[in-house]
Amino acid sequence: MTVNNTIAHQRLILSGDRERFKELLRRRLIECGWRDQIRMVCREIVKEHDSNSITLDMLVARVTPRARALVPDPVKKELLQKIKTHLLTQKNL
Amino acid sequence: MNDTGCLHLSNFKAAKGSSPYKIVHAFFVASTSYEARRYKATSCLCFSCGQPGPRLHSCLHCIYFACYGGHIQEHSKNKKHFLYVDLSYGNVFCAQCQDYIYDRELTDISRSNRVLEAKSLGISVPYTPWLPNGNEVMALKRLRKRRLISPHTTIGLRGLQNLGSTCFMNCIVQTLIHTPLLRDYFLGERHKCKTQGSGKCLVCEVSKLFQEFYSGAKTPLTLHRLLHLIWTHARHLAGYEQQDAHEFFIATLDVLHRHCMNGVEETEKKEKDRCNCIIDQIFTGGLQSDVVCTSCSGVSTTIDPFWDISLDVAGPGSLQACLERFTRAEHLGSAAKIKCSNCRAYRESTKQLTLETLPIVASFHLKRFEHSSQIDRKISAFVSFPAELDMTPFMSTHRRAVDAADNNNDPEGLFEDNRYSLFAVVNHLGSLDAGHYTAYVRQMKGSWFKCDDHMITRASLREVLDSEGYLLFYHKTVLEYECDVP
Ligand SMILES: [Zn+2]
Ligand SMILES: [Zn+2]
Ligand SMILES: [Zn+2]
Ligand SMILES: [Zn+2]
Ligand SMILES: [Zn+2]
Ligand SMILES: [Zn+2]
Repeated sequence: MTVNNTIAHQRLILSGDRERFKELLRRRLIECGWRDQIRMVCREIVKEHDSNSITLDMLVARVTPRARALVPDPVKKELLQKIKTHLLTQKNL
Repeated sequence: MNDTGCLHLSNFKAAKGSSPYKIVHAFFVASTSYEARRYKATSCLCFSCGQPGPRLHSCLHCIYFACYGGHIQEHSKNKKHFLYVDLSYGNVFCAQCQDYIYDRELTDISRSNRVLEAKSLGISVPYTPWLPNGNEVMALKRLRKRRLISPHTTIGLRGLQNLGSTCFMNCIVQTLIHTPLLRDYFLGERHKCKTQGSGKCLVCEVSKLFQEFYSGAKTPLTLHRLLHLIWTHARHLAGYEQQDAHEFFIATLDVLHRHCMNGVEETEKKEKDRCNCIIDQIFTGGLQSDVVCTSCSGVSTTIDPFWDISLDVAGPGSLQACLERFTRAEHLGSAAKIKCSNCRAYRESTKQLTLETLPIVASFHLKRFEHSSQIDRKISAFVSFPAELDMTPFMSTHRRAVDAADNNNDPEGLFEDNRYSLFAVVNHLGSLDAGHYTAYVRQMKGSWFKCDDHMITRASLREVLDSEGYLLFYHKTVLEYECDVP
């Protein structure tokens, strides 16, 4: 992370916009059914193992590639577009 | 997995309590204040490698920040500090159990901090799904009967007998029964009545009606009692005479709101003189009227509550065009001068209506009936309406920004969500004096039905959108949550 990136990142946290974007993303992922899909994937994986032998790290490692691939393009585009617009208007201040 | 933590966490809590977790969480997981955000922004980097991730954790014993890429594990091993908090989600990792552990007390702390964080940012509280409590778990175990909702279910669909030109009432009842939030309220038995069983509370009657609709029975219902009650109340209250679905809709909301208000409903509370009954929570919006004096440009603004919006249909051609015209600034002319408080004189002015707050259910009334002293007539002009509607362009904040032509410094707008989905349409068929009402209702997402008194038939969205449209009902697509801080 460069110095500029760090400052942009810090500003996003300070203004609360990072949380706002996170909340927006969360909502979109729920709306499009992504969360339910991932929940089912996790259930399958947990069922494959004995009840107590799976850890969160194992689950994350197995689910992450699929979860990333399943995020719909319109959701990525909207977030990217909004974050870009937001950062540009911030720069002008 | 359970939510009683582990032995190691219990020992830690016995020694130091839950306040280390509470403090780390309130500052670095869900920042509950501006000050907390400042700490988070400047100090959330791995003490070992200086990077912001991957997955930064904080040691619960000594508040050492380190990444999950190896440094937090290293710290934990060297110092024998076994518990650390994930700073993105607030979950606690126990190095001795080698997994994240869940503890009800910490979960409650996390939840209340999330609420405080949302308040501090002015955003809606993250939705938390229903978790059954002890009693509910017992009840679920005791009552084994489950009703599964399949894609082809007909649950909630029942015809209504026509009791002699009562189709205008039937349509409104069908619409209310299929209003998602109202249904959730009544099926969740949220109406707590003081007059339990007296038979006088109309809200209780409606509550019973919901139970009947969702009981699984399919025979058409007869609404004698309820309709009689509403209608006599309404006529008594407002002198309604026309057999008009729109008037009946407004009368019904009014009667229900009054029954909630008369102290019948315990949970009801008033906020800033605004009634907070379930009817008002769902159906009430705020209409802003700005009158601008053409001489001094002084603005006088008033905001009035509304339950529906009546739109002229001559001309436009689409619901959006009707709304655009409804919210356009209109010059009042020399014949309609208004006293300007600034000029202290009668002046020409312009008037503009915009939506200051949106209701959860937006109801539109297309003014298809024209009543004048000479003639009563029906306007069958085609007005198209969408399945998904964005109300942003008609809001006060948006209109002001457009008129001031500086639409780009509107940071709030980025996160605002004013999208609505069509869920019911009431149609009037035939002529003014020999007409008939039917309703289309959305039973589930993508599943539409036509209600023609006792007959219920499946319909396509195309058929709904191609219908003439008299009353159009939209439900907010995404709900926002408010929550009281405990
Ligand atoms: Zn430590
Ligand atoms: Zn590190
Ligand atoms: Zn442990
Ligand atoms: Zn009652
Ligand atoms: Zn009310
Ligand atoms: Zn004036």
